[in-house]
Amino acid sequence: MRVLFFAQLKDATGCASVDLPASSPLDAEQLWAALLNQFPNLATHRRTVRLAKNSEYATAETKFVEGDEVALIPPVSGG
Amino acid sequence: MEIEIQLTNSPIPSQVPPPMAEHGAWVEFRGVVRGTENGAGIAALEYEAYAPMAEKEIRRLLSEISTAQPCIAARVIHRLGVIPVGETAIYVGVAGKHRAEAFALVTEFMDRLKQDVPIWKRRAIPLTACADPTPANASIVTHTQPATVDETIALIHECCTAIEPEGVPLTEARGRTLREPVVAPEDQPPFDRSSVDGFAVRLDDPSKSFRIVDRIRAGDWKPRKLQAGEAVQIATGGALPSDGLQVVMKEDVRVTGDTLHIEERDRERNIRFRGEDACAGSELVGVGTKLSSGALALLASIGHTQPLVTRRPRVLHVATGNEIVSPEQTPQIGQIRDSNTSLVRAFMQSRGITPRQIRVGEDRAAIDSALRAPHSAFDLLLISGGASVGEHDFTRALLADLGYTLRISRTTTRPGKPLIFATRGNAVAFGLPGNPLAHFVCLNLYVSAALLGLSGGLEQSGFMTGELADDFASEANARETLWPARLNFIAGTAQLTLLPWRSSGDLTSLATANALVRIRSGCGKLTRGTRLDFVSTEP
Repeated sequence: MRVLFFAQLKDATGCASVDLPASSPLDAEQLWAALLNQFPNLATHRRTVRLAKNSEYATAETKFVEGDEVALIPPVSGG
Repeated sequence: MEIEIQLTNSPIPSQVPPPMAEHGAWVEFRGVVRGTENGAGIAALEYEAYAPMAEKEIRRLLSEISTAQPCIAARVIHRLGVIPVGETAIYVGVAGKHRAEAFALVTEFMDRLKQDVPIWKRRAIPLTACADPTPANASIVTHTQPATVDETIALIHECCTAIEPEGVPLTEARGRTLREPVVAPEDQPPFDRSSVDGFAVRLDDPSKSFRIVDRIRAGDWKPRKLQAGEAVQIATGGALPSDGLQVVMKEDVRVTGDTLHIEERDRERNIRFRGEDACAGSELVGVGTKLSSGALALLASIGHTQPLVTRRPRVLHVATGNEIVSPEQTPQIGQIRDSNTSLVRAFMQSRGITPRQIRVGEDRAAIDSALRAPHSAFDLLLISGGASVGEHDFTRALLADLGYTLRISRTTTRPGKPLIFATRGNAVAFGLPGNPLAHFVCLNLYVSAALLGLSGGLEQSGFMTGELADDFASEANARETLWPARLNFIAGTAQLTLLPWRSSGDLTSLATANALVRIRSGCGKLTRGTRLDFVSTEP
């Protein structure tokens, strides 16, 4: 699955996106574990970041599977 | 409800048409970039969006709110990229039957936009040194005595502060001065890539022969962990499939079917590593840089498509004189064709500026009516006059009436002694002596110094040093002189051939001149090879 980073998360990870292999569906907890393994700098942001899947905010039940576009959404500040 | 959403990198028009559907209320809101962010002065804000989701969220919000506040149509435009202070970041227009629900919808939408729509203020771009809105030159000295070249240029630099920046597309940015630091949005290169055509194998795998398990071309993304004895064919620029690899050049191997035999292997890994050129957040192009074609290519490569650059200065040029006629006309006895208008235009155009130009007779009423209305909107006013004392006084009086403060009214250097330089707030004006050679000198030395100041550029200006190509005999100069010259680079040195001129009305030497040489006062015969200061007049 492709994981997108925005705003300050780009600075934290050094990239705009990453491909994350997911052989089986991941829940949010497992997704975060995989991301933090690769990008330890994301740890400080985790509390404020919301997850989105295919352009919609994820819920507690959302499963992330191969082929999904996942986005890490830091606090927004548009307008 | 009819909904229209735009996320755009372009400025939002100052007028957005209302919807076609019949409505009784049309409520519009614009969110504008403020001049301060967290208490500090800023020049612009940069916005970023997760566009497909932002559109979805805006649509969802509008639909949701409109169940309680039924309206007829809504239009939302959010600008992205660099948005200068004072320009619109978001536009919301809502049409309703009555005003109450239209106002309510806009208000609630703006509140919830700031909670859920994935759009971010990426960073604030700080004000750069020169953008102080209060004129800094109130304390600047005025030269009552004739000023030297160096004094004149120093004073011009002091008086000319950078005009405000604007965001422009890359196609319009060449030669403009950058006013924001451009940083790498991600590591460059963003992944480990091969620097040769060859085969990737594990660094810790000493085998001589390998099984080729995959092929990676530039643009492919095929992560995998290689096992011992496995190799992946990879093209130059191809993304390495994992860490801990080495690329063996194809010249050093032999391939039979799926089997790779390594004939020669050194320690060279042949990989351009992620972040080797620049790490995320590091500065790639600095404030004050004049954007070259190479810099534009770099900006394009990182997706920085709306750089913040100095607005082009608005230049008004007024050619005065009763004796001048347009170049198409045949002059009567005592008249001459106006060459200064062409000279000024070409000079400005070579710097990307299109001046507004007016030719008027030396009639105060005519000049006043030409100047009164538009002059206030210009950053740089140039008045070409005659060389006589009367005309000089005329220009001085005119500038004073327009509210300019006179800074210099004479220089010690010829040609161009009767130069006038004046300021009014951040606007500057020159009175240029009317003869063409003096114009050429004043434009290339003084006006060009002013343009550099207005641009906020940091490039080096001033004189360079070259060598005299031939002996040059002249009477001892009583005054410092700027001499038109032909500059050639021969064997790496700037060779300067001085061109003959007798009076400052002499145009013939200008046809071949591409430099101005400074000859100090008291200087008589000059021998070939003498080191001289010069400025190039063909940037």
